[in-house]
Amino acid sequence: MARQLFFDDEKAFLEQLEQLLADGTPRAQLQVRMPYHSAKAEELLEGKPSKVAGFALGGALAGFGGGFLLAALTSLDWPIITGGKPIVAVPPFLLIGYLMTILLGSLASFAGFLLLARLPGIDALIEDQDFEPRFVITITDEVAPCTTLN
Amino acid sequence: MHNRPSAQRIEQDVLSAMNRPSPRYLGCILLAGLLFLGGMGLWGRQIALGMGVAGISHPVGWGVYIADFVFWVGIAHSGTLISAVLFIFRARFRTSFNRAAEAMTIFALMVAGLFPLIHLGRVWLAYYLFPYPNQRQLWVNFRSPLVWDVFAVSTYMLVSLVFFYVGMMPDLAITARHRPGVIGRIYRILSLGWTGNLQQWRHYAKLTFFLAAFATPLVASVHSIVSWDFAVSIIPGWHTTIFAPYFVAGAILSGTAMVLTLVIPMRRWLNLERYIPVDHIEAIAKILLLTSLIVSFAYIVEQGLAFYSGNLFEMEQFRFRALGDYRLLFWTMVSCNSLLPLGLFVRRLRRNLTFLFVLSLLVNVGMWLERFVIVVTSLARDFDPYAWGDYTPSLTEIGVTAGSFGLFFLLFLLFIKLLPVLSITEIKER
Repeated sequence: MARQLFFDDEKAFLEQLEQLLADGTPRAQLQVRMPYHSAKAEELLEGKPSKVAGFALGGALAGFGGGFLLAALTSLDWPIITGGKPIVAVPPFLLIGYLMTILLGSLASFAGFLLLARLPGIDALIEDQDFEPRFVITITDEVAPCTTLN
Repeated sequence: MHNRPSAQRIEQDVLSAMNRPSPRYLGCILLAGLLFLGGMGLWGRQIALGMGVAGISHPVGWGVYIADFVFWVGIAHSGTLISAVLFIFRARFRTSFNRAAEAMTIFALMVAGLFPLIHLGRVWLAYYLFPYPNQRQLWVNFRSPLVWDVFAVSTYMLVSLVFFYVGMMPDLAITARHRPGVIGRIYRILSLGWTGNLQQWRHYAKLTFFLAAFATPLVASVHSIVSWDFAVSIIPGWHTTIFAPYFVAGAILSGTAMVLTLVIPMRRWLNLERYIPVDHIEAIAKILLLTSLIVSFAYIVEQGLAFYSGNLFEMEQFRFRALGDYRLLFWTMVSCNSLLPLGLFVRRLRRNLTFLFVLSLLVNVGMWLERFVIVVTSLARDFDPYAWGDYTPSLTEIGVTAGSFGLFFLLFLLFIKLLPVLSITEIKER
């Protein structure tokens, strides 16, 4: 049966977390909920960096290529010279590529976040789980060697 | 913050702004709503009767509607500056303003986006602006700055919306906890079931960083692109390389002024003095002062370059601005944007909220006039004296402009009652 520890203070929460890890509690048995992001807690419990960066990079590259190609290929599709500029006018088409880099980079990052953070959280929505105002440590194994619970 | 309040206290204080509306609030809603409806009515009249009801004609084919567009895009800028740029620089004072400024960005862009449609006249053809496969086998002209504008403003709108929504997800979950019944459920659904576990926060932190990184160049690029609507032409007074930084500085000046216009009364009426300290407002006032100095420098440079160039058309254009038919507007602009903000060098004035509020209103007047002066004077006096002419906005244009302010304030007032006006999560963190 899981046990839950509640903390109003980030410092006490982090000390308890460090203590649990020092006492040998496996990371897999520790779940935390926090009222705001704690980089220290992330460092203690998660070794790997977030993969959102990959989505951002993928979206940005697709946006740049897609934006430039959209401008270039549609101009070639109806090759009419306007303003004395070449059909494939690189500076303005780079601008479209730049704007699409930002747009698709942002949207892909958001999509990646939803995917990686498993949102929408259907369980939380069905069970009406609250976003706690306190720091919470849940120890999923009852035999966790913890001696300094409060 | 001194005497740091508890997490519960922060939640209650911020969410109490969403309680039952007061008669004063309802009065403001009514006023803004009437202005908006009046503006919509006049736009409807313009659609029915044609563009003749607007004052724009030859030679001034761009008038108040384009000035309004540039003004509202500029207002949008400080939201991104405060939420993204100051996030990257880890400026703590941003937490007092970021939510309101982000909301302001979105509402200003919604209003700005209407003006190209209003100016278009035949609004039902607006879809021609977007590239899509069609039976005419025609595509938009990507070499035109007007198409760059479509892409810039659309990108800005979507990125700002994502940033605004992502920043609010944890706060929506907090609101859900405080609101019983169906309303609480709606907020919970809007929060996508946010519970604040490590996986969510871990990716959230990364996402916020990337969104800020993507949005930061937009602060410089969007208004640069808007400025190129003018600068890539050959019209005297428009065809100048300083337009991009000049417009960006002006945008941030007007945006920070609008933040002060909105936040100073909001802070008092919603009892948020504890969370929006005067120190933080002073920091915004310093940004306003800095951007005012940059804009003043640009005013001097463009006058200086016009006369140093020896180009007769440029010289006549800038003489006309300062001494011609629109001189009153020009000097009001200089007074509001360059002279009055100099008072902010005095610390006591920077911390005087009444002064700041009045100044912010005057700066907004000045910035609107700046756009009017830039758009209209250059068209009124271009190369050929035979084609010179004056322009006076019609009542329709003035009414539609007033309606745009009505829409903007209406949206902001609704935002105050429907969503947390401060970032609860970030206030807890600071």
